[in-house]
Amino acid sequence: MTTFQTAFEAKSKTTGTAASKKLGAATIVAVIFLVLSGLIFSAEDVVQGSTVRIMYVHVPSIWVAYLAFALTAIFSGVYLSNRSRSLIWDRLAGASAEIGVLFVAVSLVTGSLWGRLTWGTFWVWDARLTSTAFLFITYIGYLAVRRLGGTFRQRARRSSVMALLSVLEIPLVHFSVNLWRTLHQKASVADPNAKVSLDGLMLFTLFWGLISFTMLFAWLLVHRQRLMALEDAVQDRGLDRAIQQRRTEAGL
Amino acid sequence: MDLTPRPIAAPESRAQRQRRRWIPVAIVALALAAGGIVVTQFLTSAIDYYCNVDEVGLREGCVGQRRIRVQGNVLENSLQQVDGVTLFALSFNDKTLQVRYQGDPGGVFQECIPVVAHGRIINGIFDSDRIEVKHTNQYVEKNKSRFDEATNETAACSQSPE
Repeated sequence: MTTFQTAFEAKSKTTGTAASKKLGAATIVAVIFLVLSGLIFSAEDVVQGSTVRIMYVHVPSIWVAYLAFALTAIFSGVYLSNRSRSLIWDRLAGASAEIGVLFVAVSLVTGSLWGRLTWGTFWVWDARLTSTAFLFITYIGYLAVRRLGGTFRQRARRSSVMALLSVLEIPLVHFSVNLWRTLHQKASVADPNAKVSLDGLMLFTLFWGLISFTMLFAWLLVHRQRLMALEDAVQDRGLDRAIQQRRTEAGL
Repeated sequence: MDLTPRPIAAPESRAQRQRRRWIPVAIVALALAAGGIVVTQFLTSAIDYYCNVDEVGLREGCVGQRRIRVQGNVLENSLQQVDGVTLFALSFNDKTLQVRYQGDPGGVFQECIPVVAHGRIINGIFDSDRIEVKHTNQYVEKNKSRFDEATNETAACSQSPE
């Protein structure tokens, strides 16, 4: 039996709880309805045709990424400001950032496919696309910093500082379409001054996508955070075992 | 030799330690904010992806024989295909620019749609080798009644300045 298995079974048979299982089931139902609404119930766009359906994944993905990175910064801030310096905040920050990176990647890939069909090209170096790519690379850097080694507290301290700085990129990415002229269109819904310009079920499907992806994010966050706690426990056990080995070798 | 005891520095209070911890973070945040101001205030023309048709020859970065990107609406009834060459007029703010493109732009390229053309001006005509269709943030369902309405709307070929 491996050390990981021992640690895992010592704590629990699963990273889920009754509540997280209910959330998982509700997420599956929500995503199935999103697929039906996106692919069957909602109509094609008059100019884009079926390409518009990519939006129902693309926009929720970047929304979840923004949410994840904002939470990463909040959890990091709580870790730094909390007297107890509980590592649960650091693990929540790390888990949130990992999920955020995954969803930025989804957003970049789906946006690229949409761009090929609508703009005629997979990629352009305009302000929105470039800043989003930069955001993606920044948070890959954040995840790399978390794996630099050292104690859990060293990891937590340096990654918290980086998270608090990296989150400043989000307004730049989001408002890049208003600050500069970009090939990417301006915000369709998230602009308080713009009138909502999505017809019928398109708007509903987009909002449903936001809800379903947020639920998926919450479910992933709970499980990933718990898995990280187990990974830390395994690392601790490995360290304990190594120290015991050295003590035995030294005859202590 | 002076052997008098050195004064013992008063231990830092918790508030002082916390303040000292946040100083590097605040300095880096300020540096980032300053960088943001430089980018948004002084490099705008460099970061802008395109020039509008009415700025060609006038705005910094949109003049001369250099390669530029020009944005405008494909003018109604201006689109022609001659011997594999696509000819059309780009319009923006009552200014028009003739564009010549070798081949078929493809995608959703059509009249009354905003596009960004890459190329350079040769003898008064914009010789383009790349066309990108710039989709607006308007999404209209494709069905009979709405289709007619949308067709009427696009027929107006209107585009507000950005």
